[in-house]
Amino acid sequence: MASAAEELDQLMIRPLGAGQEVGRSCIMLEFKGKKIMLDCGIHPGLSGMDALPFVDMINAEEIDLLLVSHFHLDHCGSLPWFLQKTTFKGRCFMTHATKAIYRWLLADYIKVSNIATEQMLYTEADLEATMDKIETINFHEEKDVRGVKFWAYHAGHVLGAAMFMIEMAGVKILYTGDFSRQEDRHLMVAEMPTVHPDVLIIESTYGTHVHEKREDRENRFTGVVHDIVSRGGRCLIPVFALGRAQELQLILDEYWMGHPELHDIPIYYASSLAKKCMAVYQTYVNAMNERIRRQIAVNNPFVFKHIQNLKGIDHFDDVGPCVIMASPGMMQSGLSRELFESWCTDPKNGVIVAGYCVEGTLAKHLLSEPDEVNTMSGQKLPLKMSVDYISFSAHTDYAQTSDFIRQLKPPHIVLVHGEQNVMSRLKDALLREYADDPSRGPVQIHNPRNTVAVSLPFRGEKVAKVMGGLAVEPPADGRVLSGVLVKRNFNYHLLSPDELGKYTDMTQSQVSQRLSVHFSGSPQLLQYILSSLSADFETTKGKYQWRLFRAVTVTLDGKTAILEWVASPGGDMLADAVLAAVLKAETTRVDAPTRPAKFDRMHYKECLIETLQEMFGDEAVPKFFKGEKFHVTCGGRRADIDLTDMSVTCEEDEVFRSAVLTAVTKLYQSLSPATLSRND
Amino acid sequence: MTSIIKVQTLTGSDGETPHCHLLQVDECRFLLDAGWDENFNLNYLRDVRKHVNQIDAVLLTFPDQAHLGALPYLFGKCGLSCAVYATVPVYKMGQMFLYDQYQSRHNTEDFNVFSLDDVDSAFDKIVQLKYNQSVALKGRGQGLTITPLAAGHMIGGTMWKIVKDGEEDILYAPDFNHKKERHLNGCDLEHVARPSLMITDAYNATYAPARRRQRDEQLMTTILQTLRGGGHVLVAIDTAGRMLELAHMLDQLWRNKESGLMAYSLALLNNVSYNVVEFAKSQIEWMSDKLMRSFEGARNNPFQFKHLKLFHSLSEVNRIRGPKVVLASSPDLECGFARELFTQWCTSAKNHVILTARTSVGTLARDLMTNKKKKTLSLQVKQRVRLEGAELEEYQRRELEAKRAKAAALAGDIDSSDESDTDEAPLATDGQVEHDLTLANGKPNPLFFKSSKRQHAVFPHIEERVKYDDYGELIRPGEFAVAEEEVKPEPVKEEAEPADQEMQDLSTVPSKCLAYYRTFTVAAGVTYIDFEGRTDGESLYRILEQLRPRRLVLLRGTDEVVQPLAARFAQVAEKVLIPRAGHPVDATTESHIYQVRLRDSLVSSLTFSKGKDAEVAWLDGVVVMATDQRPSDVTAPTDDAAMETDDAEEAIPTLELLPAEKAPRHSTVFINELRLSDFKQALVRLGIASEFSGGVLWCCNGTVALRRQEQGHITIEGCLSDDFFRIRELLYGQYAIV
Repeated sequence: MASAAEELDQLMIRPLGAGQEVGRSCIMLEFKGKKIMLDCGIHPGLSGMDALPFVDMINAEEIDLLLVSHFHLDHCGSLPWFLQKTTFKGRCFMTHATKAIYRWLLADYIKVSNIATEQMLYTEADLEATMDKIETINFHEEKDVRGVKFWAYHAGHVLGAAMFMIEMAGVKILYTGDFSRQEDRHLMVAEMPTVHPDVLIIESTYGTHVHEKREDRENRFTGVVHDIVSRGGRCLIPVFALGRAQELQLILDEYWMGHPELHDIPIYYASSLAKKCMAVYQTYVNAMNERIRRQIAVNNPFVFKHIQNLKGIDHFDDVGPCVIMASPGMMQSGLSRELFESWCTDPKNGVIVAGYCVEGTLAKHLLSEPDEVNTMSGQKLPLKMSVDYISFSAHTDYAQTSDFIRQLKPPHIVLVHGEQNVMSRLKDALLREYADDPSRGPVQIHNPRNTVAVSLPFRGEKVAKVMGGLAVEPPADGRVLSGVLVKRNFNYHLLSPDELGKYTDMTQSQVSQRLSVHFSGSPQLLQYILSSLSADFETTKGKYQWRLFRAVTVTLDGKTAILEWVASPGGDMLADAVLAAVLKAETTRVDAPTRPAKFDRMHYKECLIETLQEMFGDEAVPKFFKGEKFHVTCGGRRADIDLTDMSVTCEEDEVFRSAVLTAVTKLYQSLSPATLSRND
Repeated sequence: MTSIIKVQTLTGSDGETPHCHLLQVDECRFLLDAGWDENFNLNYLRDVRKHVNQIDAVLLTFPDQAHLGALPYLFGKCGLSCAVYATVPVYKMGQMFLYDQYQSRHNTEDFNVFSLDDVDSAFDKIVQLKYNQSVALKGRGQGLTITPLAAGHMIGGTMWKIVKDGEEDILYAPDFNHKKERHLNGCDLEHVARPSLMITDAYNATYAPARRRQRDEQLMTTILQTLRGGGHVLVAIDTAGRMLELAHMLDQLWRNKESGLMAYSLALLNNVSYNVVEFAKSQIEWMSDKLMRSFEGARNNPFQFKHLKLFHSLSEVNRIRGPKVVLASSPDLECGFARELFTQWCTSAKNHVILTARTSVGTLARDLMTNKKKKTLSLQVKQRVRLEGAELEEYQRRELEAKRAKAAALAGDIDSSDESDTDEAPLATDGQVEHDLTLANGKPNPLFFKSSKRQHAVFPHIEERVKYDDYGELIRPGEFAVAEEEVKPEPVKEEAEPADQEMQDLSTVPSKCLAYYRTFTVAAGVTYIDFEGRTDGESLYRILEQLRPRRLVLLRGTDEVVQPLAARFAQVAEKVLIPRAGHPVDATTESHIYQVRLRDSLVSSLTFSKGKDAEVAWLDGVVVMATDQRPSDVTAPTDDAAMETDDAEEAIPTLELLPAEKAPRHSTVFINELRLSDFKQALVRLGIASEFSGGVLWCCNGTVALRRQEQGHITIEGCLSDDFFRIRELLYGQYAIV
């Protein structure tokens, strides 16, 4: 049942989202009949069905495996919809931390979007139901789903973020998801895989941009915060609830610890979601860096001393300098927007934009340093507060990306998750870099648009292991190997059938059949008819029992004939013939057999002469001959026939000889009972 | 391609010796576990020491004394130095086990079998792995891949799968538990398909423990009765393995309002309890699916105990008023807080002692278990006491001399490190100690002292926390009082718990160890309730039957236990081996394997049919010793794996399609082991009536009968009718026919 797709050597990579865009990551891999989906995100800028990746391009039912790299909405946002509302039947994996946070993050997302749109993709109940469908995978743990082997590497970026290495029929594909090779306060850097992938699917969010050094940016950040609060201003840091916010908290908590003079200035963190997920952060310290893991033995670094949680704006008394972290990170709406609008007119105050911002949001607008901003209610407010942009985004930059690629040496690179221009700039830069490097070998870089597939040829080579009895003798040229080829998950084993049980958990079985037929004729007639059917005809003495073709046993028991044989295609066919003979014996109303049950050789000779006369004319064959030898003459050529071994010789004409031979043998076969060669 | 495989047990396999075995696969020698008994009997390690130099890798299964107890000694004192493989929890918890063991011993005696540095240096060698993470070995182990699989029993518990060249797979699985428990999943047998060699222990082969429910009830009633009677319950349990299961269970029991246990105290007492619980909290991903789900769903960490209080010293526990339940280490009552509590409590009939594991012969716990009648015990009591009077003076004088000698030596060699092992030098003199200067002077505060005190890196300075309320900084009236006289600084006492001081006392104040015998009358009740969490005998048989290992090595277990097991599997397995102390058994098998490359034309000519979990096809091919090496860039699979071995590997012969007329005939092979009940299901789905009667499946109103003759032999019987052929067709559908 090898489907055609399985034999194809084309690896298809088709982005259904995140192809030349940022958001709704969803990439399909197809190879050898296996289909894998990587991530299933939602577009933050769109709503309803429009925000989904282009999943109508594919048949959800055929997907074997779905891997989710991390908990950001643009990587797992449409997962509940996909798991609950489509015919998807495969298995879905993510890391433990991702799963724990996914549940809370999406519950929050549902709550927020509930007000915004009527066309809800899924409900809280759907989300709850997906929890049982999602399986977890530990970092470095190898899993095998229908022959697709995969494992996860730490990706940095956020807690639980994974890069997946997928191996199918020997071809390795690395999907980085979002990753960062710069160590920060709590996350480890993305690991460098120890095996080289054949295809690298890599994010390109920051393209050719190069980040500033961690120390510099932290100093700049704490410096700005310090400035704002010491001039008596309020410092607003709009952040996404999970991920970077924890990093900023660690920085601020440590900075406050070292600056006792700041102790009377409160730091607030306004996110109920982050509070909920703190338990997850406090638990999965094993996915964080060495520093945190060492510290956990003494005390938990995620139990902050100077940062207070703020339940909502109602609980906030705006009476003086403070630092407040509030979501959402791009100030589209919500608490961070409200605070911004009430503070932006005072030059003492300041806002620090700390993350990646998408075109069209207020945060992005602020970076162009406008004089006025629009409020949500439509008024215009003068922008007097200070605006700083310090990127804490944990995405790879050009330096990290090119270093990563140089070490991994993948022959094929597929860029995803990046704005169109940024992506093509990165592609050009990478090509330029490797063009000068002859040692590197050829590299192909692809940046497919959504729904456009990249097709890469891989000649999967099939190697089988010959085991057991078949392998006792070493392989030699021309040796014939016959046995059962067992194919499991792209692995081939060649075994002799008797050893199946020894090396696999399959067993060889036997099916024997016993068929009863009503028979009212005479046993003698039956015996006669059976005996003329098969040359291998044995009779059991004292009973009406015969064995034909050494395969089928016929027993006559009163008015029933019982046929017994062992099932096999050949055996079944013979049994059918015997059955037909029995039925014939039943219907033939002859009292007793008239002719002996032996092959009549004289009759054969008579027939042969008649046949040859028909073929070559009456004169060609002698009317009468003795013994087993005679000859045929036709058109001056003579063929000698020897009936003892059924051979025909004719020196002159090969065509003539074979015509005669055919006549001789075919006639013999049709008149004599059947014999079978016995290796069946 | 035949691999030489030998197994030798180094501590003696008979009976109940600790786990420590040597596995040789061709050149490579593994030490399977490095266990030691409870009392560090050096006899056990005699054989191990002989082999120390040959060992290439150590594989650890569980974090307890019986599986890794000898590790620090072997690394510290015997010069073992090789990679050690263990899962992350085994690494963490194993360290806790040994710290606790060391500290328990050190608290009462001069313990010098190994030091904490030995523990650390041994654990530095550990490569931490996740379940199902394969590691390809290098050097002498070239071609070998090791993979840890979940084994249950203790957190991180491992069964090791050792695979040679992708074919010979060895499973080392001692003390596994197939049952799901509260905090752990059962062992993971899914990833094991018929191992070629299985090494397991027969210790439990005839053991039939009480049912879980019954066992839990017994524990519950024992605890309740004792507490209500005003007595204490001592539960002797290990440091960080089975303790987690019991602690989790008891905490849940306490939470149950109807249990009526809330009024009593529940305490966990060992030297590392805080750290163990912290580590447990951060290892949820290694625990049972149920706990993980509840964590994902409700974010409640199962080891965030509500009722179980953590303690690190006896005096803290003694300060708790009223009846209490104390989980204390170690389970053998040979040392540690469990023994001290036992000596305190065993004389009162109100109290109760619960033993949770069958420890080795000769230990106090085992003694109590076997001799239930015995009421008087003569026990060695060990104590560490402060030096006093003349002894103290003598000690101080010697210390001073040592110091001077050292100073003299130092003067000569300034570069040499002065931070050596005089950590217990007492700097504190009599009189009021204001600051704990010893901390700054000695070695860093070891992990296992839970100390809420701040540590002062250079000199003592107490940071004052500024406290706020709604009106700003709290006003302390004292600050505004007119200073009439110089206020004498009060000794900073607020955080220095007396318990801490006591701990400090033991390790910093000159002390000596006493050991004397005292006779105890055991009046307290002693019950053994099995919380070992290992597979029972019956299940062991079942699991082995299911796995059908081709060869079986049975460790640990007396003759009467092992022999029936060996006899039972003599037919199933090709070889059943029972190693005896000092004699390696040879588990080598003849196995013939070579690889052939399959031509595409050959593969496309095959017709595969679906077998159980694989596809099968009959293949006729002819070997061609190909010399045409294809360009290597097209062959995708020869990647990194091949990169290392490419040179060594000889050319793989190619298998070409054999022309149909040349192919030898073969008899048809039916592959599958059909169960009639499955077939009945298939018939039901197609709406064909069938019923079982006397082991025969009658179909179509009894016109066709299916009978199972023996292993893998089915007979189909019937009269000539359409039904017969229809059923036969369906029956064929159940097989892969090639």
